[in-house]
Amino acid sequence: MIKRGITVFALALLLAVPSAFAADGAAIVKPCGSCHKLAGPAVKTIAEVKARKAPDLFYAGSKFNKDWLVGFLQNPTVIRPAGTVYSNNIKTTGDTDTVAAPAKCASKLSAGDAAAAADYLMTLKDAKMKTGVAKIGEFSKAKAKMLIIKTEACNGCHSIEGNGGLSCPTWEGIGKRLNPDWVYSFVQDPQYWDPKVWMGKRDLDDASMQLVVNYIASLK
Amino acid sequence: MKTIVISKFSAAMFAAALFLAAGMVGSASAETAADNYSLYCVQCHGTAGTGKGINAPYLAVAPRNHSDAKAMGELSDANVALAITEGGSAVGKSTQMPAWKHNLTAAEIKDIVAHLRKMCKCTGAAK
Ligand code: HEC
Ligand code: HEC
Ligand code: HEC
Repeated sequence: MIKRGITVFALALLLAVPSAFAADGAAIVKPCGSCHKLAGPAVKTIAEVKARKAPDLFYAGSKFNKDWLVGFLQNPTVIRPAGTVYSNNIKTTGDTDTVAAPAKCASKLSAGDAAAAADYLMTLKDAKMKTGVAKIGEFSKAKAKMLIIKTEACNGCHSIEGNGGLSCPTWEGIGKRLNPDWVYSFVQDPQYWDPKVWMGKRDLDDASMQLVVNYIASLK
Repeated sequence: MKTIVISKFSAAMFAAALFLAAGMVGSASAETAADNYSLYCVQCHGTAGTGKGINAPYLAVAPRNHSDAKAMGELSDANVALAITEGGSAVGKSTQMPAWKHNLTAAEIKDIVAHLRKMCKCTGAAK
């Protein structure tokens, strides 16, 4: 009797805690955890990186623009041409590597559910990320491309305006996807977000960083 | 007097121990050269190490063929380590070879140099 009473009480508590609205978004996103990591910290070894099925979402609220999320969750597009971890999607013929079939995101939410899920994902923020650092406005596109293509060769791995490597996210539509402050933080220190990410940290001053974030924000 | 000296010493020891512990937690763990190569280098240099990775068709300069005994033999170990640490521009080569000093520790880079020597079955030029 006492046991049953406790169980009922615990159940009642469990149901009472989350507000109806938060429960919606959180409940919709919970099953996404079968592929995506929904709580930090990021993994720290190459073996764990290679076991990764999908990108981490535990800082989604710092990384994405909400409008983009709402659209993507209803109808996902390919972002990483060689999949989440490129080395798991290679076909080698002779000594030449090509991309096998990368997995797309499996999300297929209705418009209503996508909005609720995006609201919830936007609450998953990294408390330490500085905001207000990216100053989006007028910039020299020629200078930006000089830095990005010639000096830093970002196109070695990223497809930029339709041309570049396949091992990581395309920059097609990247300005719609990403929060410029997060882009600033990620390019300054990719290992802060993902210790084993296969992109090097650069030593770029603020003026160069503003060119990078402005150029990226302009690719809509 | 003596006790003060001892406590100062032990405080320093404690600080050093903390520092070491923090370093170990904060930094990513060391990996084998083969694992590092497979994640960081294969994207351009390819699974076979011959320069035919999935990004290679989009590069203006072909990635070095790491199994080429002649080309790799002309590079000293110090040159190879510098190219990996600081990127192609540090050794007068293309900026499309990135710098890896923030991804790999000096010890890991040393292991990779040895790994590359196995791939080319060659020894490095003296200088
Ligand atoms: C079967 C595994 C799987 C499931 C389930 C899944 N996803 Fe994904 N998701 C992926 C993969 C793989 C990608 C990477 C796609 C790409 O880069 O082209 C991805 C990408 C994403 C991205 C973009 C991430 C980024 O950093 O670019 C978001 C946001 C996302 N998924 C949200 C969701 C949500 C929300 C759900 C649940 C409603 C969900 N996913 C369910 C596999 C999955
Ligand atoms: C050696 C390959 C490589 C090079 C060169 C490179 N990146 Fe990356 N980049 C990556 C990888 C890997 C990721 C993370 C992949 C992921 O999230 O799945 C990434 C992610 C990013 C992201 C976040 C992308 C997103 O859509 O989620 C931005 C922004 C970015 N890089 C900018 C740059 C800039 C700017 C440069 C040049 C200064 C650069 N990258 C050069 C490999 C590279
Ligand atoms: C974004 C593509 C890319 C990635 C990733 C990359 N490389 Fe390279 N690498 C190149 C290119 C391109 C060259 C040729 C540069 C030239 O000849 O001007 C090169 C050249 C080299 C050389 C020869 C340097 C010299 O002095 O001639 C070495 C050694 C090397 N890479 C090692 C590595 C190692 C080790 C890794 C992984 C930690 C790696 N590379 C990752 C593109 C890449």
